[in-house]
Amino acid sequence: MTPALRLEGLTRSYGSLTAVDHVDLTVARGERHALIGPNGAGKSTLFATVAGTLRATSGRVLLNGRDVTALSESERARRGLLRTYQHSSLFLGCTVLDNVALAVQRVQRVAHRFDRPARGFRRVQARALEHLESVGLAGRAHDTASELSHGERRQLEVAMVLAAEPAVVMFDEPTAGMSAAETERFATLLEGLPRSLTVVIVEHDLDVVFRLADRVTVLHLGAVLASGPPAAIRSDEAVRAAYLGAARTEDLFTGGAR
Amino acid sequence: MKAVETTAPAPAVAARPRRPARRGRAVAAAVTAAALLAAVPLVLGAYPVSMMTRMLAFAVLVLSVDLLTGITGMPTLGQAAYFGVGAYTAALVGVHLTSDGAVQVAAALLAGLAAAAVTGWIAVRAHGIVFLMLTLAIGESVHQLADTWSLVGGGNGLAGMPPVSVLGTALPAAGFVYWWVLAVAAAAFAVVALVARSPYGRTLRGIRDNEARMRALGYRPGPAKFGVFCLAGAVAAVGGALWAAQVRFVSPGDLGFEVAALALLSVVIGGSGTLWGPCLGAALVLLVRDNLSAHVGGHGALVLGAVFVAVVFTMPRGLAGLARRPRRTEARS
Ligand SMILES: Nc1ncnc2c1ncn2[C@@H]1O[C@H](COP(=O)(O)OP(=O)(O)OP(=O)(O)O)[C@@H](O)[C@H]1O
Ligand SMILES: [Mg+2]
Repeated sequence: MTPALRLEGLTRSYGSLTAVDHVDLTVARGERHALIGPNGAGKSTLFATVAGTLRATSGRVLLNGRDVTALSESERARRGLLRTYQHSSLFLGCTVLDNVALAVQRVQRVAHRFDRPARGFRRVQARALEHLESVGLAGRAHDTASELSHGERRQLEVAMVLAAEPAVVMFDEPTAGMSAAETERFATLLEGLPRSLTVVIVEHDLDVVFRLADRVTVLHLGAVLASGPPAAIRSDEAVRAAYLGAARTEDLFTGGAR
Repeated sequence: MKAVETTAPAPAVAARPRRPARRGRAVAAAVTAAALLAAVPLVLGAYPVSMMTRMLAFAVLVLSVDLLTGITGMPTLGQAAYFGVGAYTAALVGVHLTSDGAVQVAAALLAGLAAAAVTGWIAVRAHGIVFLMLTLAIGESVHQLADTWSLVGGGNGLAGMPPVSVLGTALPAAGFVYWWVLAVAAAAFAVVALVARSPYGRTLRGIRDNEARMRALGYRPGPAKFGVFCLAGAVAAVGGALWAAQVRFVSPGDLGFEVAALALLSVVIGGSGTLWGPCLGAALVLLVRDNLSAHVGGHGALVLGAVFVAVVFTMPRGLAGLARRPRRTEARS
């Protein structure tokens, strides 16, 4: 079966700094794939390059076997490749409902209709509210997004990206800034997602990683250090040795000094 | 309402009750405003009525600026150009073709749409201050054109427009012209309000707040921005046609930088993003420019500048912000 996402020699440089260095990665359809590595390893840059926010310096991105490297970010999103941001990127002047409805109305192809008020588009409104409920924000639907707490904004980010009905979704540290309860809700939500959806997740929380991931890839200095099932990664000597001062691999997973 | 919000078991239910009350109040306010505006010629004399007619026409221009600046986040200094295109088109139609107001408005609308389409496809590629500069350049070019083109009277302007007629009847007095202008302005307001509330309006606010995120969600902001630019051009041109219907004389000054700046100022004073706020701002700005100016020795611009600074510091959300705050606290409790 063609993998949902395949990266071939993907490279991205900032001037002389190679933040992502010849990354080869294959993510099967329906897989929950965790991407870990210390601060500055290049995880966020990798996501941005895969999503098309940043142009790849070299290498290819294949979505369901199709080369999308030449496509713009918006075209990739239309083909189902979406991501969340490490630092929330929301529509702060809009209502919470509007934030999610923006994703829904694009998917339902009514984003440019102006023949009647938005609330008249019942399917959009209902779907958006469903997504808000799934992250526990339905009660805040009519508040302005800027009124949300940090944790709530992270939840809204999750609702928004899922509302865009992705085929492959990349979460960049989704639980950073969430409370324990919010993190639990997120993990449960992720477990409940259909297997037609492929998930790549950057996560520093070891518990979340081992609870959710089918495979783990370790990124170090922009390159793939190891990739395999969680148990194998946990006991990998190279992974262990690569981290200065990290006597146990667990320190790596918890992000060390973060 | 409070009881419902605190005891409702499902959050989705709790989110709803606020809506109908708010909508009901908005409808009541709109009906009251329309009734008051319609009664103006019955109460006031000819001069204040003609003054208010111009305010309405100017408010339509300001609406178009708000559509771009407040709703889509594209600050513009070029809308006076399309206002002027509409005014000149209506005047030319009036002088050479027909005094029918509806034909004049329709011709102006199409001309404004076309002018915005021709100039907009370049402008919408730019962002922020560059976009502002481009619109300024467009405005100045059109102003120059009007100032030098003899077909439209050059620097002398275009005079000799016969009184507007509606449904074959020439409007005999200032009050009737006012009602005609009020009707068209209300229609323009309704169209802009519908667009602002529609899914497309939501798309535009998304672009305003975070264009990069829109792209990441699969949107193509370019065409959406071009669309609203054309619509704003058409709305501004309708405003121009209404202006011409009252003044019956168009000159290059009507599409100059001053008009564009006053329109943007009205949006800021009224509160960008809302629709009725900038309309109030338009009335206020025109009142200061045309009436107070004489009393302060021609320093109207100075007064407006002072008002602008005062508003920015004391009411960051403009006039609309004054009505907004109480609702917020109520919603929170
Ligand atoms: N815009 C930029 N310009 C130059 N260098 C950058 C830029 N963004 C990131 N970098 C550098 O690229 C490297 C990878 O950064 P990146 O943010 O991708 O790491 P990360 O693995 O996501 O780290 P973190 O865990 O802190 O989020 C770092 O050395 C960083 O300093
Ligand atoms: Mg990062």
